Amino acid sequence: MTERFDHDSLRELVPLYAAGMLSGPERAGVQAHVAECAECAAEFRACRPLDAAFAQSVPQEDPPTSLRDAVLASARRDPPIRRSRESSVGTLAWLAAAAMLLVSAGLGVYVRALQQRIDGLEGQLREALVMLNDSQQRVAVALRAAVDAQAPLAVLTAPDVRQINLTGQRAAPGASARAFWSRSRGVVFTAANLPTLSPGRIYQLWFIAGKTPVSAGLLAPPDAQGSLTSTVATPIDLPNPDALAVSIEPTGGSPGPGPTGDIYLIGAAR
Amino acid sequence: MWILAVLDDRADLGAAASHADADGRAVRRMAAGDERGLAELYDRYARLLYSLALRIVRERSDAEDVLQEAFSQIWRQAHRFDVARGTVAGWLVTVTRSRALDRLRRRKARPESPDGERVAAAILDPSEGIDLQLVTMEAVARVRAALAALPDDQRVPLELAYYEGLSQSEIAARLATPLGTIKTRMREAVRRLRNALAGEKA
Repeated sequence: MTERFDHDSLRELVPLYAAGMLSGPERAGVQAHVAECAECAAEFRACRPLDAAFAQSVPQEDPPTSLRDAVLASARRDPPIRRSRESSVGTLAWLAAAAMLLVSAGLGVYVRALQQRIDGLEGQLREALVMLNDSQQRVAVALRAAVDAQAPLAVLTAPDVRQINLTGQRAAPGASARAFWSRSRGVVFTAANLPTLSPGRIYQLWFIAGKTPVSAGLLAPPDAQGSLTSTVATPIDLPNPDALAVSIEPTGGSPGPGPTGDIYLIGAAR
Repeated sequence: MWILAVLDDRADLGAAASHADADGRAVRRMAAGDERGLAELYDRYARLLYSLALRIVRERSDAEDVLQEAFSQIWRQAHRFDVARGTVAGWLVTVTRSRALDRLRRRKARPESPDGERVAAAILDPSEGIDLQLVTMEAVARVRAALAALPDDQRVPLELAYYEGLSQSEIAARLATPLGTIKTRMREAVRRLRNALAGEKA
């Protein structure tokens, strides 16, 4: 690096550093500077939320429910390292001895009464927390639905929105579809007369750039009439696409970099 | 519930702070070997973290593995986490993003600096915590809008840096653009986002 890391040039990099977008020598240089320059440290703190904003600026999707059990099961197999284990065993032993002493001193009744009272209060607290959690979850679900409902509108009103018409291929000659695509905001995809899916199958949307397919994600299954509407994000780093296509794939999506099943729909993107 | 604090711009910091308290308690439970602490954090943040991981690795099965690894790491390292140094939510995001980027790099079979070293640095560096609960939905929406309004040549480098962990020279190579141009565009782009964050028109 021949560049001179002076205050002015480093200060310009502070927002990128705070957003978690620097690596290598630049990152090290800014990090060291922020540690000793009050002005840049303040700018760094002001810019920290950029990182959080990027972390949250992604389409939200729930993990599969089985994952929770898997995470907890692996934690059970792999207990955390506790340096204080011996001392806590010591404390427990001491407490037990102290309790014995209390009992033998005739205070056992008092201890039991106290324990019952604590148990009762804990029970009440647990119930209150369950109720609170439940109502908070309902509010969160409603908010999520509201946010999700805005996504197609954002695409349709994007300044760079483009319409792509797709026609049915040999596997589905009667099918047709229309996509509205904005590079910045995603794709709203609607299709009609698609064959209903057999179990274990799903439709997947692809951008085709030259000869290279780039997955744009899985589509919601069509209804009984063969209609579906899905909103998906633009794949990152997508070259200018030539076409948009839909293939049939196993439920998890194509196992490879491109379509593995029949192409059902295709349309030129330029 | 943390998401409420984020979604409601007027959510008072008291609510957010009590949330941070609950997170802190969950971490202490984990440090004591009580897996209910882990379950609690999972229930609160799994959706956010899974979505972030999925955006980075682009494959559901990989995103699931990333989440497994991330939660396994925070479970094992809970006793080392110091609530005073940063928020639990920020720690979770940092660990998840690091894990997801590691996986992305491994998948591309591109040798990089050792994983453990960088992840450890991320955890030990107090500046790496994100004050997630201080980011209001309104601020996030402003940054997103500003991001969407950026021309592609400014937006794409930022996304490559954040979601693929590429360095500026790697971005320059990927986009076949001179490094100096990439540096200028990234500085300009992030300056606009920073203005949007501050509530100014970009």
